[in-house]
Amino acid sequence: MSKSTSPLGYRFPGGRYTIADWENWLLTDCTTAQALPENLAHPVSLFHVPILGAGTSIAELFEICGAEGPGSVGLDGYDWEYMHPLRVGVEYRMEGGIVRWENLVDERDQPYDSMSFSIEMFDGSELVARITNTWRFRRRKVVGA
Amino acid sequence: MSRIINVGDQLPEFVVPSVDPARMKTMAAILRDPYRVHWDREATREMGLDGRVINQGPLNLSYIVNMLHAFAGPTSIRRLTVSFARPVFDGDLVVAGGEVTEVQDSLLVCGVWLKRGDEIVVSGTAVVDVAALASVSS
Repeated sequence: MSKSTSPLGYRFPGGRYTIADWENWLLTDCTTAQALPENLAHPVSLFHVPILGAGTSIAELFEICGAEGPGSVGLDGYDWEYMHPLRVGVEYRMEGGIVRWENLVDERDQPYDSMSFSIEMFDGSELVARITNTWRFRRRKVVGA
Repeated sequence: MSRIINVGDQLPEFVVPSVDPARMKTMAAILRDPYRVHWDREATREMGLDGRVINQGPLNLSYIVNMLHAFAGPTSIRRLTVSFARPVFDGDLVVAGGEVTEVQDSLLVCGVWLKRGDEIVVSGTAVVDVAALASVSS
């Protein structure tokens, strides 16, 4: 049923990311809020910063998981832990990979693959944040298979 | 200023009167998000969604974050665990809310949600540290 092979265990290259002031300003504006004080980055930066900092991208994740176009990708959930607030101008180091992959069927009997990836974010050797995101890749049902 | 917080307390709501498609475009650029459903009305027409673009999950969550910040301050969030039940579209009026479910010293566990009318579109749990707000009871 699934077009893609399991990417379970795939490790991202890892890397570093510094949140720029302009980037944080625009992102915070997108949330309809005012910029936070004291160089604090908006906590929702914990979506794109770990992904890009770990050396991957949404596009690459779609490709690895065999996304099939508009409507084929769904968002199931996030689990984000903040050990410290995120700050603009700090160089963070990221590492992580794909930690879960399951072939499932939804309530309408449509097949999908559920994928979770987890990334840890460090300032020096100190763990700053950890994310686990779960996405759904819907598959076309193969009739007669 | 001290504040007494109890299990069952409701958190002040954060209202987004109309989800803005222009903000989705900016967000897509920041996220490097190639998924057309966030910025190309033709993509959602193909899906039978009447050409309304779909808000990014992080933006839906951000309204809950902003609600928590208004309540407990900008460094208060320790953990967010959420599920996304329904898509949010441009033009939707959504309201973020929450309720205290547990008090552990200065840490509060809160049920949080984002609603469109009576429909819950995002729900989950937040752990926030309210040490800066002083008095907490259970």
